[in-house]
Amino acid sequence: MQLKKRRRGNVRKSLARISAGLLAAALPPLAGQAAAQSYYDDASGTRNNNFGPGFTYSQLDAALLVYQEAGGRVGAIEPTANLSMHAADGRQLSIGGVADSVSGATPNGAVPSNLPQNFVTPIKAQGSSASVTSASGGSTIIKLPPTPGQLATAALGRQYTVPANTLPMDKGFHDHRAALNGAWAQPLGGITEIGVGAGYSRESDYQSITANTHLSQNFNANNTTMSLSLNSEFDSSFPFGGIPTPLSVMNAQWKTQSTRDKTQLGFVLGLTQVMTRSWLTQFNYAFDQQSGYQNDPYRIVSVVDPASGVPTQSLYENRPQSRQSNSFYWDNKLDLGPTVTDLSLRYFTDSWGIKSVTADLAERLNLGSAFYVEPSARYYHQSAANFFHSYLVGGQALPAYATSDSRLGSFTGTTFGAKLGWIVSKRSEFYVKGEYYAQSGNSHPAGAIGQLKQQDLFPKTSAAIAFIGYSWDFH
Amino acid sequence: MRTAARTVFLAGMALALAGCASLGPKPWEKDLMARHEMLVDPYPLQTAAEDHVYFSKEASSGGRGFAGGGCGCN
Amino acid sequence: MQAAPETEASRRITRLGPDYHVSFHAMATPCEVRVETSDAALAERIGIAVEAEARRIELKFSRYRVDSVVGRINAAGHLGLVVDEETSSLLECARQCFDASDGMFDITSGVLRRAWHFDGSDRLPGAQRILDLLPLVGWPKVSWKPPELKLPPGMEIDLGGLAKEYAVDRALAEALAIAPLPMLVNFGGDLRVSGPRSGGIPWNVAIESVEKSGGMAGMLELREGALATSGDARRFLLRDGVRYSHILNPRTGWPVKDAPRSVTIAAYSCVEAGITATLAMLKGRRAEAFLKREGIRAWCIR
Repeated sequence: MQLKKRRRGNVRKSLARISAGLLAAALPPLAGQAAAQSYYDDASGTRNNNFGPGFTYSQLDAALLVYQEAGGRVGAIEPTANLSMHAADGRQLSIGGVADSVSGATPNGAVPSNLPQNFVTPIKAQGSSASVTSASGGSTIIKLPPTPGQLATAALGRQYTVPANTLPMDKGFHDHRAALNGAWAQPLGGITEIGVGAGYSRESDYQSITANTHLSQNFNANNTTMSLSLNSEFDSSFPFGGIPTPLSVMNAQWKTQSTRDKTQLGFVLGLTQVMTRSWLTQFNYAFDQQSGYQNDPYRIVSVVDPASGVPTQSLYENRPQSRQSNSFYWDNKLDLGPTVTDLSLRYFTDSWGIKSVTADLAERLNLGSAFYVEPSARYYHQSAANFFHSYLVGGQALPAYATSDSRLGSFTGTTFGAKLGWIVSKRSEFYVKGEYYAQSGNSHPAGAIGQLKQQDLFPKTSAAIAFIGYSWDFH
Repeated sequence: MRTAARTVFLAGMALALAGCASLGPKPWEKDLMARHEMLVDPYPLQTAAEDHVYFSKEASSGGRGFAGGGCGCN
Repeated sequence: MQAAPETEASRRITRLGPDYHVSFHAMATPCEVRVETSDAALAERIGIAVEAEARRIELKFSRYRVDSVVGRINAAGHLGLVVDEETSSLLECARQCFDASDGMFDITSGVLRRAWHFDGSDRLPGAQRILDLLPLVGWPKVSWKPPELKLPPGMEIDLGGLAKEYAVDRALAEALAIAPLPMLVNFGGDLRVSGPRSGGIPWNVAIESVEKSGGMAGMLELREGALATSGDARRFLLRDGVRYSHILNPRTGWPVKDAPRSVTIAAYSCVEAGITATLAMLKGRRAEAFLKREGIRAWCIR
């Protein structure tokens, strides 16, 4: 019968005293209440979110991404947060959210010209001319004659003019996005982990629903992990002004069809192996199949005069409805004492004719136990899709598919970055990362016609990326 | 030529898999592996943000995980 | 492939990364010492000292040996035995643990093992058999007037719940007297480190899964202090879906109900971690609540 109520820590203190008493008699170098006290008072140390099996804990991650392209182009601010809860028996639940605000000028796909160019596009709100002013990125609201067979209300368009010898960009681009995701995982019978997840993302003109399931199994005294994940994504595109007819002339008409869908199915087969005490390697093979609407509904391709190279028409782009891709990904982590090296390589190939290689290297250097720096570098090179054309030539037969989206052209992207981390306590960490990303491609392709020889035909992108994150583990 | 290359590749895989059975450190040698920075993906939000940037600027995606982007930015 | 049987001559020394690793078999369990040094000869001297200390304590306190101190105390019974200073301090520690645990930590409860055989089977002893043994359990029934211990007829003591942890603390002290290097002494999962590795890097210790041998349930970082685990990975009885842990309640003679399958405790010394782990197991269903209330760093597997 326990009559007196025990106060917090009393049993621990008496056991500590008893043990110290025993050991003090036997071994002077290790004993002493003072040493024991300093052991219990010690709160320093590196980050350790391993509460061990049998303990419930949660991890909260919050981060902010700030992205800004040079030359007044796209900028984005993206706050994100994730909470994951780990139960004693290996079950995990995580929920997260992302908000996204994007604005800035974006290349519309047309080539530059030695003459000023006019572009007309549907205004973003049907019939609400008052809310879209001419101040919006230098655009003008114009009244269009009604077109037979189209919606009667389509009377307004947005027109913008691009000066001579300038990359045509649409400056009226801004959007918000919100996304939510959740995942559940647990051990099941002899299976190390089985899990499901789902996500929902919404923008003003796009919606995405994702669902996935995965299975992983540890072998060989937990040195080997094999995993399989199945992923699906169902997207709907409902652009302002409706879905343009592929390869039709760009105008400001509202189209009757307003929504097109895309389905993506894929799997990732992964093998993770602890090779030695300090070397971890991972090999993934991923296959994806996309089918449905994959066009950028706002993007156009210039048709140029076969002699002068001056753009005469703008056509909406068109991409194949089906795309299969394969990627091979190999990641290595090497712990070399004070530094940790992470080197990953990827080879990607798809049915559109794109082949790419990626190499990503990061070297983490711990500065004492509380700080670390991690410089990083990334190299990326891709070949062009087989329907990529910087422009089409007037008088020639139209190809079935055409895009001038530089993201489907050939280019090299390089990133340099540095990260600084501060281990605030064993349970929390704060870090900032700055990166600079630049694309370079062929600005003056052979065979350019007329005035195009003088133009820069690669709309190069460069961007500064800042990332701030905080991670906190708690009971 | 191609067949020969494939055979060599498959043989390499088989060798690698057979090697796995005894590959890797003993449990008490996993001290370094237990460090946070040796996790396969120690900073998932940072990885997701970087993947999102590259997804919206490049034609290739996936490999580390699912290729989908969950947004209309590409 | 079959592992060679472990013998007294089983001491092996191997290079493991920045450490020398000396392993041997003593106290019915695999033992090891890891020393962060590049000096093989020094590591071997330390290994020899650690092994010698493990064997000394095993010989002195084993209840299976009639010539051990424990064997002689149990044989002397009511005639009593005057014990040496080291044994006296261990017995005094056991008495204090009995008091601090409200009688749950009891070195006289070993006689209950005449009835209980934790071999993974479903053979439970009869209730009468346990009632017959209960009068032989209870520290207050012994006469402990340091340095003399007298046991009532039929009673026995067993220092098995202290000796291995004590050996870890002792062996580490012996090793540090040879060279003050970063090191880790581990006797069958009860372990203590001298301090952090060079550069302040912690030692990392795997908690073995209770499910399958060799599996790992988690990793712990240890900068200083000790870890001890109490568990029933292989020592239990299973009947009608009820799992009987090998931790016996000295008051009822029956295994503690709903105890965690394993409890790992971090504490300053290995002795303290070991006593705390045993005490937590004795709390049964309330083990985690007890550990949390006391503010003890612990990892439980259910």
